[in-house]
Amino acid sequence: MARVILKDIKKIYPMSGDQKKKKAKGKKTEHKTGNLQITDKGVVAVQAFNLDIADKEFIVLVGPSGCGKSTTLRMIAGLEDISEGDLYIDDELMNGVAPKDRDIAMVFQNYALYPHMSVYDNMAFSLKLKHMDKKEIDVKVREAAEILGITEYLDRKPKALSGGQRQRVAIGRAIVRNPKVFLMDEPLSNLDAKLRNQMRAEILKLRQKINTTFIYVTHDQTEAMTLGDRIVIMKDGYIQQIGTPQQVFDHPANLFVAGFIGSPQMNMMDGRLIKKDGKYAVELPGTTVVLSEEKQARLAANDVAEQEVIVGVRPEHVILTDSGYRGTVEVSELMGSSMHVHLTDVHGKDMVVILNDKKDFDKFTTGAQIDLTFTPDVVHVFDRTTQKNLEW
Amino acid sequence: MNTNTVNSKKAIAQLTIVRIIVYIILAILTILCLFSFYMLIINSTRSNGELQGGFTLIPSTHFIQNLVNAWNDSSINIPRGMLNSFLIAALSAICATYFSALTAYGIHAYNFRGKKFAYWFILAIMVIPSQVAASGFVQICYKFGLTNNYLMLILPGIASPVVFFYMKQYMEAVLPMEIVEAARVDGSNEFFTFNRVILPMLKPALAVQLIFTFVASWNNYFLPSLLLTKSELKTVPIMIAQLRSADYSKFDMGKVYMFILLAILPVVIVYLILNRNIIKGVTSGSVKG
Repeated sequence: MARVILKDIKKIYPMSGDQKKKKAKGKKTEHKTGNLQITDKGVVAVQAFNLDIADKEFIVLVGPSGCGKSTTLRMIAGLEDISEGDLYIDDELMNGVAPKDRDIAMVFQNYALYPHMSVYDNMAFSLKLKHMDKKEIDVKVREAAEILGITEYLDRKPKALSGGQRQRVAIGRAIVRNPKVFLMDEPLSNLDAKLRNQMRAEILKLRQKINTTFIYVTHDQTEAMTLGDRIVIMKDGYIQQIGTPQQVFDHPANLFVAGFIGSPQMNMMDGRLIKKDGKYAVELPGTTVVLSEEKQARLAANDVAEQEVIVGVRPEHVILTDSGYRGTVEVSELMGSSMHVHLTDVHGKDMVVILNDKKDFDKFTTGAQIDLTFTPDVVHVFDRTTQKNLEW
Repeated sequence: MNTNTVNSKKAIAQLTIVRIIVYIILAILTILCLFSFYMLIINSTRSNGELQGGFTLIPSTHFIQNLVNAWNDSSINIPRGMLNSFLIAALSAICATYFSALTAYGIHAYNFRGKKFAYWFILAIMVIPSQVAASGFVQICYKFGLTNNYLMLILPGIASPVVFFYMKQYMEAVLPMEIVEAARVDGSNEFFTFNRVILPMLKPALAVQLIFTFVASWNNYFLPSLLLTKSELKTVPIMIAQLRSADYSKFDMGKVYMFILLAILPVVIVYLILNRNIIKGVTSGSVKG
């Protein structure tokens, strides 16, 4: 149990020999290659990372590959040096402290079990290193095995276990230590979809049982939404937004967060923000939606002027109407209880609409034209240049 | 008969021919490998006179006689020679394998300035013939009075670039850094991690290199013949050479073949002991495959 503070954390990977040669030849090095910024010092993997994680909080770092989430976790674990900034665990500066002295436990994506040791020995390894009494080790290992349902496998070697069982052992190895901070680096991404759902629920139960600070890394927004007390969304080494799952879903800070959180992803349409009778409205071909009072207030507070914008609406918030924003059905996916209809809008952009009323399911054949509108309180308005949510 | 059936019959016939050719080649290679051993066993059963008579594939009846002659030869002490060779070969193999694995682990697991240079420097040593390096080494040993000292035959084996290269390649294939990191987080120090976590994972590679280095050291004639002058310190290859160079009155080829047969027995035993570990894939199941 611990509070973790990350203050202006920055991670720079020094330049490789080839990059240095390019620099020596006078080629410009301050630029962006792929996702990450490259400066004279090297590749900047994480920057301006500020986060205060409360005791017993479950924080999820989420983002696409290469966004810096695993690097951040590894810096907390002490497996990567922190280039700049301070890391505190329970108010103690941890920058130069070795991983073993940070009182943390980590679960790796590919289990990282010791192959020549039995499940029992894998779980007891860290306790033996602490010179703990054998009886005490036995109690702790069996207790953890009981929680995770792996008691019957204690004598087996990792190779005799399935993927799910191996990941349980990896979690067991971490929980026997009763660490201050529990770090998990994409622990479920090697499991199949069914097992992933099952293990997700297990992690939630585990969290209630062991009640400690969790920092969890994933690229799966569903995992982030279901597990985290708060989510940190990252891109290109920068934090994009920090908030509760509901906050980031309802009020995305920018276009990236809006697209990343939610499945299927938010529909983005070209429109115009106008003022109609003193009220903000979004104008789209075929429909004009006057925004809700709450949104009016936020836009007014930011003194937002009339402008061309990107209008974002989640697929589940689209309403069918007789005359409105028009789209042409491309394909329909029947999901059982709902139907996902893929459309092309008037600007040729792809859209998805989720229909829950089974009566509508037969209407949407390929090529059919449908008209859509949107409820005023779920329409998001983004600046076309900065891609920021204009309500922020 | 349709075209598909004809095609499939043709394919089966072609496959059978290819298999027959492959098996013939494999059989020839196996015979070539085992023939020298067979001849050694046959020759160890023949007397010196029979051996002078020429080549035969049929065993004779002088096996025990040759064994007694070799064992009782006053110019050599077979048990002592085998013990000397075993001591040097076993310690050389252990040192070369352990320290090469440690060096390879250092290069594999750590990032430090000059890492690439260190790697290529070690590999560059491979191209220097051992005889070139040995000339200077022997001079040093004579100057510092280090002849007739087993350490001079064991310690140079520690710097073994071939073993280093093999271990490095093996680590790249089977050793995920997450295991090292997991051990670090678990509280293990670097040396403990290497000895208790990494080495057991390298068992198959260690077994292979132990056999190779043991055999190389067991068969080594060059350096021991230059550095060991005392008869009680001499190794098996020196003793075999001694038997071969005996004057005409004492020369007995049956005795020589018998000694060679005895000399390969420890190597066979070491191979049989380590063979199990080569086949056993201990690393499976450690990480997601």
